[in-house]
Amino acid sequence: MKIGVFGVGTTKFGELWNLSMEDIAKQAIDSALQDAAMKMKDIDALYVGNMLSGILFNQANLASLISGIYDVSIPAFRLEGACASGGLALHNAILGIRAGQYKKVLVLGVEKMTDHSQEEVTGGLMGAGSEDERLAGLTFPGIYALMAQAYLQDYHVSEESLAGVSVKNHYHGSFNPNAQFQKPITVADVMKSTKVADPLKLLDCSPVSDGAAAVVIGEVTNEKKLSRVPIYITASEVAVDAVNLCARESLTSLKAVVLAAKKAYTKTGLTPQDIHVAEIHDCFSIAEAIATEDLGFSKRGKGAIDICNEKFTLKKGKTITNSSGGLKSCGHPVGATGIKQIVEIVEQLQGKANARQVDGAKIGLTHNVGGSGAVAVIHVLQKYL
Amino acid sequence: MKNTPVTIWRRQKAQTALLGQGGTIVHWTMIRVTTSGFGKQTPYPVVYVALDTGTKMVGQLVDWENIDLQQGRKVIVVLRRLRTEDTDSVISYYTKFKPA
Repeated sequence: MKIGVFGVGTTKFGELWNLSMEDIAKQAIDSALQDAAMKMKDIDALYVGNMLSGILFNQANLASLISGIYDVSIPAFRLEGACASGGLALHNAILGIRAGQYKKVLVLGVEKMTDHSQEEVTGGLMGAGSEDERLAGLTFPGIYALMAQAYLQDYHVSEESLAGVSVKNHYHGSFNPNAQFQKPITVADVMKSTKVADPLKLLDCSPVSDGAAAVVIGEVTNEKKLSRVPIYITASEVAVDAVNLCARESLTSLKAVVLAAKKAYTKTGLTPQDIHVAEIHDCFSIAEAIATEDLGFSKRGKGAIDICNEKFTLKKGKTITNSSGGLKSCGHPVGATGIKQIVEIVEQLQGKANARQVDGAKIGLTHNVGGSGAVAVIHVLQKYL
Repeated sequence: MKNTPVTIWRRQKAQTALLGQGGTIVHWTMIRVTTSGFGKQTPYPVVYVALDTGTKMVGQLVDWENIDLQQGRKVIVVLRRLRTEDTDSVISYYTKFKPA
């Protein structure tokens, strides 16, 4: 069965204090429906990716709440897998279509974070960790800081090299009008930014953001009947690993990512070198360095160095990573991220990415991670089958 | 998971078994921005320790000096008050590490 993306949409990402969670959900959905030239009544089911509404707003039952905005009585589901909630929502939506239950499905990723204090959000995000980690006084930057210490030590990489990840992503984000930060930064800016959890500094960390993104997907039975050629989702793979860092085999590789990527490459018959454009889950600079290796774009221990050498930079590299600006520069409304990555890749493959367009992009990949590596969701998107 | 007197009571047995165990610091970080209840302790180090039994464990390091923040430093498990501001209705204690 061929699964196609018919329409995409996002809100601006950032501190959207004048908008509620329902407001941004509606903006993203309306935008995706408009792009698909559809109405909500054409949709058979709604899948929502969201992490924090229960913790921060005491709002469970989110999927029904959002379908209620449109006064439709379609099946609606909320999927939760920490920062991979969006990716999981899309994966499950695809399963609903493959099972033959639904024809056209709307998938929304949404998160509203800036209504709450830094302590509340930091605490809420630790919901993605284990009880042992919470009681050890760890934060998410703290967990990734331990992984960064391991990476810097094992591969003799400098903090400056790690900073190169944020420099690249801010450069890309400077071309994205929906990005939270649209200002390029330098390695020196990263190095002098305030420390959050050593060795990670403020500019190694993705921000707290509000935002929503939506896609309309469905089975493609007769391509000729469609008004435009859809982008196909040719792989949707999930793998999981221990939530607790202490129970993992390695601190410098995420097993879940390696497993999910392997399945995605096998199913599509592609190799890492075939990917033209990839959205990578750079919640922290170290996360992108490791992901670049886990996805097979760089050799072990070379991810950060390759990024610094502009191997993945727009107009310079062969595989471009995080053309949207990534989580670092575009923003990281956690439940929305996995869907925003899909929106970016679709726009790239349609040639609609304007100043950040990757020339000739036909094959794209998204890498969405929940927790410090407990969940990994990989999607492959292609322009032609 | 929110702590309740029951969850605190339930984890006491496992906690007691860890007390006095030795281990070695493998990695460390200094937490400067934190979650509710730990705010008054910042900045504080959290260490990733290989216990002598082979088990890996994370925990706060207490009674430390700068020289203790390095790979290979020997530590032992001690019991300390968990948070500065406790709202769990009983004062919770938890395992932390101190330099051996």
